[in-house]
Amino acid sequence: MIELDLKKKLLGAQGEFTLDVRLRIEPGEFVTLFGESGAGKTTLLRCLAGLAEPDAGSIRVNGITWFDQHTRLPVQQRRVGYMFQDYALFPNMSVRGNLEFAQRKRANCQRVIELIEMMALGELQQRKPATLSGGQQQRVALARALAAEPQLLLLDEPFSALDHETRLRLQDEVLRLQRHFGITTVMVSHDVSEVYRLSRRVLVVEQGCIVRAGQPAEVFGAGQASGKFTFAGEVLAIEAADVVYAVTLLVGNQIVRVIASADEVQRIKIGDRVMLLSKAFNPMLVPV
Amino acid sequence: MNRLPGIITAIESNDHLSLVDVAVGQDTFTAMLMETPQDAPYLKVGNAVVVLFKETEVSLAKNLSGQISLRNRIKGVVTQIRNGAILSEVMLDYQGQTITSIITTRAAQRLVLEQGDAVEALVKANEVSLMEVGNADTDHIPSPVQGEG
Repeated sequence: MIELDLKKKLLGAQGEFTLDVRLRIEPGEFVTLFGESGAGKTTLLRCLAGLAEPDAGSIRVNGITWFDQHTRLPVQQRRVGYMFQDYALFPNMSVRGNLEFAQRKRANCQRVIELIEMMALGELQQRKPATLSGGQQQRVALARALAAEPQLLLLDEPFSALDHETRLRLQDEVLRLQRHFGITTVMVSHDVSEVYRLSRRVLVVEQGCIVRAGQPAEVFGAGQASGKFTFAGEVLAIEAADVVYAVTLLVGNQIVRVIASADEVQRIKIGDRVMLLSKAFNPMLVPV
Repeated sequence: MNRLPGIITAIESNDHLSLVDVAVGQDTFTAMLMETPQDAPYLKVGNAVVVLFKETEVSLAKNLSGQISLRNRIKGVVTQIRNGAILSEVMLDYQGQTITSIITTRAAQRLVLEQGDAVEALVKANEVSLMEVGNADTDHIPSPVQGEG
């Protein structure tokens, strides 16, 4: 159980504001802090890790005080695994070296071997970080964060620098390991799909305060996830196909074609921005 | 897109789905929506809405008899037919309004459709959307914030 109650003055783009958060996290829970950049999410993680100091308040983890008026538990005694957006591996150490170093004095060879095996790092274990791809480096970073047998895992937008597929794979891996070890986890994210995939509880942070909290479906559901799909697209081509038209659209970075009636085509021209609407009943779902 | 203005007369809902009846003239249209009055406040008996459905979702029948599951049966008269190689566009007069159906040319020929024929247009309830009226301009693509189902 993590109980925190902290206040810290921050300087944002629109001037000073106060990070003011009171929060309880159950053991083994996966919680996401969601919100715009500069809302104070990373500072909250840094306060938990001991990398930043609150102005006031307290942090208690499993009954032990990490921070209050009189206590400042140093970083190395907090048993926190921290995974950053930019991997932050030691460049002069091998993959295995990075994991072993993270263990410090808790030399538990078994844990490193288990992690190397679980994360399929066997073939990479003697390589230096610079020779690895972004996805591989982030897998090493995750393994390293877990090597210290943390009581608390902190993930600061860990997937944002990765391509879509690598991101999905790593998200699965994080979930699997988080459940396997039962580690209480706090993640910072501003990606709705990531929040849905990973966390049971999301806290929306705005200007240093938690403005909404609940299950992802509750927090994002109201108003947004009705039974219709709307996609913004741009018209690339309109071609007659019999009595209907094939309209080519750019939606996100995908090129799609839809059938439009003469009546619909009359209202659009090439280059126009349009909304694609579809009802909840039409899409077919196919596992990939 | 076919558009018909109407008034909501009944709503039947469970946790996620609503079956909404809309009076259009003397007829009742039914829309199956993945919205409920709780999350879509425009779903209220007495509210004015526009019934929307795509031309390609409109089937046509001539001399239809027997039982059919479709809730939306629109009696109209063929005013114009445009035949393409694969698809045909059939326009109907429905109480002074136009309803367009796009069906295969093969099907149009099988029905021996001609101008002046009395036909029924059939639309499944889950292909019908509703758009709130008010600031809505029915001549434009419905804005996504207007509670289109």
